[in-house]
Parts: sequence; C-alpha cells; structure tokens
Amino acid sequence: MQYVIIGSSAAGISAIEAIRTKDKTSKIIVVSDEKKPLYSRCLISYLLAGTIDEKKIWYRKDNFFKANKVEALLGIKAEEINVKKKEISLSNKEKIKFNKLLIATGASPKLEDIPGIDKKGVFPLRTIEHAIEIQAMLDKVKSVAILGGGLIGLRAAYALKNRGKETSVFVKSSSILSQIIDKDAAGIMQRRIEEKGIKIFTGVAAKEVAGSKSVDGVVLDNGSKHGCELVIIGKGVSPNIEIAKDAGIKTNWGIVSDEFLRTSSEDIFSAGDVSETNDIALEESSINAIWPAACEQGRIAGLNMAGENEIYEGSLAMNSIEFFGLPVISVGITRPKSGAYKEIIKKDAGKNIYKKIVLKDGIIVGVIFVNSIENIGIIGALIKNKTDVSSVKDIILEGYFDYAKIAPLIKKAKKGFKEPEFKETIMTL
Amino acid sequence: MKKIYCDIKKCLGCGSCEIACAIEHSRSKELDKAISESPLPVKRRKAEFVEESVSISTGCQHCENAACVTGCMSGAMYKEKKTGLTQHDRDKCVGCWMCIMTCPFGAITRERQEKQVLKCDLCPDRDKPACVEACPTKALFLGTLKEFTKTCST
Repeated sequence: MQYVIIGSSAAGISAIEAIRTKDKTSKIIVVSDEKKPLYSRCLISYLLAGTIDEKKIWYRKDNFFKANKVEALLGIKAEEINVKKKEISLSNKEKIKFNKLLIATGASPKLEDIPGIDKKGVFPLRTIEHAIEIQAMLDKVKSVAILGGGLIGLRAAYALKNRGKETSVFVKSSSILSQIIDKDAAGIMQRRIEEKGIKIFTGVAAKEVAGSKSVDGVVLDNGSKHGCELVIIGKGVSPNIEIAKDAGIKTNWGIVSDEFLRTSSEDIFSAGDVSETNDIALEESSINAIWPAACEQGRIAGLNMAGENEIYEGSLAMNSIEFFGLPVISVGITRPKSGAYKEIIKKDAGKNIYKKIVLKDGIIVGVIFVNSIENIGIIGALIKNKTDVSSVKDIILEGYFDYAKIAPLIKKAKKGFKEPEFKETIMTL
Repeated sequence: MKKIYCDIKKCLGCGSCEIACAIEHSRSKELDKAISESPLPVKRRKAEFVEESVSISTGCQHCENAACVTGCMSGAMYKEKKTGLTQHDRDKCVGCWMCIMTCPFGAITRERQEKQVLKCDLCPDRDKPACVEACPTKALFLGTLKEFTKTCST
C-alpha cells in the first residue's frame, strides 16, 4: 500500500494522522508546493499583527513527518494525475505511484482583475511567505489599503493597525463580513473596529492600483484616489481544482466528494478547501473553506483511505473572529434569503450583545452570537443534528440557556446525538 | 478511558461541584483566600437545571472524537495519548474561540484578559477530581463508561 497526499495544510496533516491510527507501516508520501508547511494558515494574520511570535505558528512539531514516517516532497508541485495508471507527475519531472490518493490542494486567493494589481506592494494574505514579505517592507509603509471586508481583509487590517499603520478597508458590499454575519451584527463589529482607528468604507471598490513600479495608491470607483504604500487583497479564495479537472475527476465549484470523501475516481479522495461536500444547513452541495471542516474532512478521508467506512455528515459554515476584544461567532445560515425562514433576535446594545437564531420548520439552521459567545457550540450541535427545538426556542437566546436545557431533546431525539458522550444524558435523565 | 460522569437522577443541582472546581483551580486552593484572588478563579463545571428539581453537572466530556481538538487552529487542544483525555496547552492557545464554537456541551469558557480558554483538566494535582469528591450525593463519578453504567443500575 502506498498513500499519496497532495497538500500539507490542515486537511493533509489530519489525513496523515488518521491514516497512522489505522496503518502504522505503509508508505505515505506527501507532496506540497510549500517549502515549509506544518504552520497554521489561520495564524498568519496573528504573525503579521505581531501578537504571536513565529514559534507559535507551527501547529505541529517540526519532526511531524519523520515521526509519522512520511516521505515529504516539499517545494514540489503535483502537476498531473493519471487516473488509469494511478500515478502523479511532479514538477521535478518525477512520477510517483499511488494506491490511495488524497487531493488536498486547498484554495488560492482570488486576485482582483484591475489594472496595476501586479505592482510591487500588492499582496494577498494566504501563506506564511506573504506575511514575511509584507513584514519585510513594513518600515517603508505609512498607509495601507485593504480591498475586501471579509474575514481575511479585516484580519489583515487588524494586524496592520496593530503595527501602527494607517489602515483603510474598502468594501464593495454595504456591510463588512457579509458572507458570515448579518447587517446588525456587522454594524456592531464595524463600530468597534472604527473606534479603534481603522477606517472602513462600504459600497466602494478599487478600480485601479496606482503607482509606477511600486504602489502609491488605489483609485476608487467613486473617482477618488486613496494614497497608500501597501495593498492587501482579501477577496476570498477559489479552490485549486485544476489538477483534478484535468484528470477527468468530477468537479463543480470544487472537487465533488461523496459522504466518504471519495471523488468520482476510484481510490482518489479529496478534503479541505478544494472539496465540495454536503452542507448540513443548506442541504446542498457546497464548499466551506474553513479550518475545522478541512481538519474533519482530512481525518475522515484518511480513515477511509486506510480501509474504514467512516461517514462524513457534511460541513457547516462556521467562523469565530474577535476584533479589539469584541468576539463574534456564526454558524450555518445567517442571512436567510427567503420567507421560509424565521428569525429570533435578542439584543443588548449597551453591552454590545447581539444574538440571533435562524429557524426553518422548527429546526435551527443558523446562529450569530456577538460578545456573548459561550454555549454557541450547543446550538451548533442542534443544527448538526437537525433537532426540533420548538419546545425550547423561546429560551435559547437567554443567558441561562445551557446544555441542561437541551438534555430532554437529546433523550427524545430519534436521529442524531450518536456520539458516546451523549450516553450518560440519555441513560440517566 | 476514565473521566467524570454525572448521574442526573442523583444530581441535586447544589453547585458543590462548581465551588470545589473553582477552588481547586485557584492559586491558594482555599475557599476563604480564593474568593479575594484577582482574577477570580473560574469554575470549569456547571450544575444546571434541566427542569424543576432535575439537574445535571456538566463539564468537558473528553470526547473520543473531540471537535475542539480537530478544529483547533493552533494545536493547543490535544489528546493525551496515554489517557485519552482532552488537554489544553496554554502556551499554544491564541484565544480564537474555535473550541467554544465547536463544543457541543458548552464546556469551554473564556479567560478574556489572558485570551485563553479554560476547561476541565480532571485535576492533575489530585487523585480524585475535586468536584467528584465534593459531590454530596455521589452523582459525580470518576471511572469508565462501563463502570458508570454499572453504578447507575445499582
């Protein structure tokens, strides 16, 4: 048996760990175009902010590959998959065979298609190299323009503000974090971010990056020019599906994966930001390019590559962010688009607390908690298990809501809550 | 794997477990001193009411397939190989709250100033966790699921 894994971030690493719980001896080869993997992608902005030192970004020990008996081909790109021969071709002209292959190629930052985007001083923020390159030029930077008001854009803004830079964020849509939270929650977050000196401009997009060789500003679609020496692009990511697509593996937005994380090709699996799976809340095929989903998919794909029959229940959009001491967590559908959904909201403006659940047919499909985030995982479990919450829906947003309040629902549930940890509740209630 | 279980039938919701937990995780480990410590010691268990006169004491369940471990982006939450317990490494934690986002029991709390999380560590300095020892009705039990099941039926 020879396992090959393309990609060595969250999904790839989780897969290695999972394979090794079942198969201690077979050969595992990991191919990664990153020279120094094993860092946490989510911590890149923390590194840039200077809130953690470089040591902390390595979320696995540097002997990880050796300890797991993995042959790591680093700084090498997997270029082609030959599905019939079960072989992949590498950028160093070598070919390697596989019995089981995992495609965990991740995603790449979407770059804006505007003039001047290739100028010196324009960066996405996706890899540790990006953070290091940005850091290296910070001495010469007074002002920064961030294009995009999503998670990465705002994390970058926070980081650079923390480094003492004048930071402005340009957001095409009418509110920040529009993929993750609703307008009310976004309003609370925006106020806090602006109070701390980051400028946010909504409804504005850049149409050009100005400057000769290096950036000296961005030209906005309202005609004005904003001077800056550094531009960070935070426009989301697109999945790296090309290698799979070229090999004839079924792709849609991402690589189409079934409930075992198998692709359309035998013995080829996919996991992480490249993988399109069932979204539990949306009840349709979708990509949730988030760290916990990548890890869980990697784990299950790894187990199944090693011969198990572990089912992946599907992914849920979920994000946790904090700016200047104000946290927000959201799970599932937070901005319902049709009348089929009901919302329950509780606010305490003085305390910056905002809580919302989104329901469909008596089942929670989404939640947002601002500033009071404890116990949100319980609601996540209710979403995941599609539990009828009619009997508790009026107390869910109260401060005293906790695990005890859903204990009867767990005992009653015909589906879900299969994990052994729920047994004591079911048994003794 | 040995961990703490709660027999809901025996739990009074008295909160003795909460107090014992907070004291054990204080600097002084003595009630009269702990209450004046700053920051105040934080409990890692909650005794809460299911309904009138039915209550449960919950904390970290040290889940076999722990969502907090799988989802931890800094590697701070990990499984201890020997014991199977879910442990937390303060040096690695960055306070991203992803574990709070994924814990189905609401068993993880924030330590806001320190940007750290807190959860049950099964009292490493003691033979028996403080909450189990403090429980007046023996609703809390330290042992394996099999052992716990046996005590429930007797």
